[in-house]
Amino acid sequence: MTQTLTPPSTKIPPSTHPLAEVIHRLEAGGTMLPDTPENLMQIIGLYKAYAVPMDFYWRDLLYIAEQVFLDPLPWNKYLISEEYLDRENHYSGDNADLRIWRGCGDAHPELREFMAQGELKKNLPRILHHLWHDRINMEFAEECMRSMLWHRDMYKPWNQFDGFLDTDEYKQNCDRAIKAYFKGNPAMLGLYKLFPDLFYEQCRQMSYYSNLGLFWEVMAPVFFEMSDLYDEGKMTSVPAAMDFLVNGIFAIAGRPIYHHVYIKGECFEIIPKSKGFTWLYEAALPYVEAVFYRTSPFRGTKSYNAQAKQVPDNQPEFHFGVLYADKFPVGTAGIPPTFLAQDMLHFLPEYLVEYYKQHCRGEDDMLVQLAVSFQRSMYCVTSAVIQALRAALLYPLDDEDPEHLMANRQFFEAQMDRFLRPEARIRDIQTQEYR
Amino acid sequence: MLSALVVVPLIGALIVGFFPGVLSPALSRLITIVFAAISLILTIVVGAAFDLTHVGFQMEEFLPWLPDLGLNYRVAIDGLSFPLVALTNLLTLLLAFNSSVGLKPGTELQRPRLFYSLMLLVNSGVVGAFVAQNLILFFLFYEVELIPFYLLIVIWGSDKREYAATKFLIYTALSGILILAGFLAMNWLTGAASFDYGAINTTDLSRSTQLVLLALLLIGFGIKTPLVPLHSWLPDAYVESSAPVSIMLGGILSKLGTYGIIRFAVGLFPETWVSVAPVMATIAAITVIYGSFCAIAQHDIKRMVAYSSIGHMGYIILGTAALTPLSMIGVISQMVAHGLILALLFYLVGIVESKVGTRELESLNGLLNPIRGLPMTAALLILAAMASAGIPGMVGFISEFMVFQGSFPTFPVQTLVAILGTALTAVYFVILLNRTCFGKLDSSSAYYPRVTRTEYIPAFVLTIVIIFLGIQPAWLVRWSQVTSDAIAFVF
Repeated sequence: MTQTLTPPSTKIPPSTHPLAEVIHRLEAGGTMLPDTPENLMQIIGLYKAYAVPMDFYWRDLLYIAEQVFLDPLPWNKYLISEEYLDRENHYSGDNADLRIWRGCGDAHPELREFMAQGELKKNLPRILHHLWHDRINMEFAEECMRSMLWHRDMYKPWNQFDGFLDTDEYKQNCDRAIKAYFKGNPAMLGLYKLFPDLFYEQCRQMSYYSNLGLFWEVMAPVFFEMSDLYDEGKMTSVPAAMDFLVNGIFAIAGRPIYHHVYIKGECFEIIPKSKGFTWLYEAALPYVEAVFYRTSPFRGTKSYNAQAKQVPDNQPEFHFGVLYADKFPVGTAGIPPTFLAQDMLHFLPEYLVEYYKQHCRGEDDMLVQLAVSFQRSMYCVTSAVIQALRAALLYPLDDEDPEHLMANRQFFEAQMDRFLRPEARIRDIQTQEYR
Repeated sequence: MLSALVVVPLIGALIVGFFPGVLSPALSRLITIVFAAISLILTIVVGAAFDLTHVGFQMEEFLPWLPDLGLNYRVAIDGLSFPLVALTNLLTLLLAFNSSVGLKPGTELQRPRLFYSLMLLVNSGVVGAFVAQNLILFFLFYEVELIPFYLLIVIWGSDKREYAATKFLIYTALSGILILAGFLAMNWLTGAASFDYGAINTTDLSRSTQLVLLALLLIGFGIKTPLVPLHSWLPDAYVESSAPVSIMLGGILSKLGTYGIIRFAVGLFPETWVSVAPVMATIAAITVIYGSFCAIAQHDIKRMVAYSSIGHMGYIILGTAALTPLSMIGVISQMVAHGLILALLFYLVGIVESKVGTRELESLNGLLNPIRGLPMTAALLILAAMASAGIPGMVGFISEFMVFQGSFPTFPVQTLVAILGTALTAVYFVILLNRTCFGKLDSSSAYYPRVTRTEYIPAFVLTIVIIFLGIQPAWLVRWSQVTSDAIAFVF
């Protein structure tokens, strides 16, 4: 069953853009992804599979940002403390101050079960699971964080978080935390004296750990709720899924983005909540831009030759993100997809496993099939961001004024221009044959 | 026992082909496998009874046929023919096990009864030619191959099969005419009482007569081998044939050419052979280089393997021209090695073609991709290419090494040129592997079906044999050592 979309307006002529079909769908309130039951099943199933590791990602990211901080040998940074697994999500559970998901506030039960037994299905000490690589792969989350850190200056002037990292105020906050953290450690303090910028840069990285952790703290319960609604038969179309995301984005757009560090029980506010950095502009938009669009050439077996202009000169023109990534891990671009795919594989809903078994090589290439589903689901998320931006900056889709509709059209066309590159997978996801 | 090696597949061919009633494809295949397996078991029995120290032919079987015309049914085996009989029967069994290699997924072998029948007929004919001790009997077996192979190419081949089959027919018919003319002339001119090998003595003929007769045989068998410039039927026939037929052509039939050269050109004209040996060594070196360069230029991996085959046959002729004990052991080993490696290469190319749908280098890439590629096939392809390039540890190395080592003292320049050919082999196989196995798998087209275990079994068997004989070459050369010494010391 699919939702009936508002037909594209006849007040302006059809788009002549190469991706006109997609633009007309967006103008009708749809997504870049065609509205089919198969697509809906894939994206919702993937949201569920993504949400469980994401529940770990945000907890560990905050754990690293707040507790591990500048530890020069952070061997235990992935061995998250029980305190952080029990930490209540601000958007789910009974104690949530803005409840999105009806489930629990602490770590998801499937996550706890996996952390206890892993793929091995054996109750071994967590360090053994970790060393066996039988764990949630935080490397993916860290790569996303690094991507956000590296692609700075995104969405200025709305995004003020990034600019704040270069201010004297930020450095003074860092200075207090650094001196407290390394108190009684003359070697590190001496090093800090000699190379302060090195430490500030590490602090900036930690701030982005916090930024991304707070971003995903929202997204995990959003995805859980969407999965539950789908299971209950209340999420029946791809546009409905996107609308849920858009509504969620606006509901939580103003949630604070900050960075607190806890050193010997004392809280150091490196980026205080009072700075007014918000979830939408300081986390969501930079995240989508950095991870979905840009990232960096994947350090795989394919060599990108910068001198041959295979890598753009300007960072904003980078196109190695999830929406462009090759589904194969070898020689692809974008965030290393193998780690995330491996994480999601453990938490796939049964209906998706059955679906994958029926196609291509069944269970043997499930990692690739789910990577493609992930790409479809991220096109849906990106559609939500595009529609949210349009709603925030431009006009309603059912506006009566042709000039406004044309402004919307130009906005959509400008967004689609980014997918004209041959690497963009937008054309692939228009059919179900892309698996 | 030797007659059984000829008769058993013939009976199988008759049963599969003419059984009055319906034979399902599966049953036809099963019957073929059974008869091919019996033949291989009989070969093992022959091998067990084979006297490694015996010089000359053994296990002779004789049946008068038309004695007045000098025609007898006389078969026997020696260290030259036994390895080739074993190779023929092994490849036939493996092909019977999976004759569908190279077919598109979901399609079945068309006219299976006829196909299996012809396959067994080819097996019978080739084995008969290898064990025949009478010139006319050899010729009959030799010519028996013609029509079955024509049908195998023209019925189961690809787009240009008619052209390729007709070309094959014309070339091999010409080859047969020349050989028959040579055989008849030998008998008449020498005044031999029969066409038995032992009855022919050419030493009393004048050198010019010997040269003419030898030229007839060399051109006749040179077409079959083939040698440059008599090779032009081969690429078309190999490429347009289905994968099993390519394997039969390259692994089985081409050995008849080199066998004929050794058995008749060298065996019956030893002195004249020595005088033409420098020319033959030069032709061999040219064949090696020509085949290698042509392989480098190809865009179709099957055609590349076909030209590779031409190049590798040059080693056999080079070793035969040198005619030293070591080179002759190398020659016989190389014939077996070539058959095994070429069969594996064609088999794997067939798998690639059936799964990917193309043999074009430009379209193939990333087959080693562990998730959506054909990683095991690609790995075996790498191994087969290494074997063909003469990498130590595989059967190709030891045979080529013996050929070069044995030939260098006699023909140093030609040998060095041929050694250059091995380097060129590495070049075209690196091109092939680099483009097909490595690189980025095309995500828009890489929906290849899996290769089944059944499809892998023949490839695994060939790989095991190639590695085993590479590590333990004594198991290969022990059969032919005495015979090769005898051939080398003929002169």
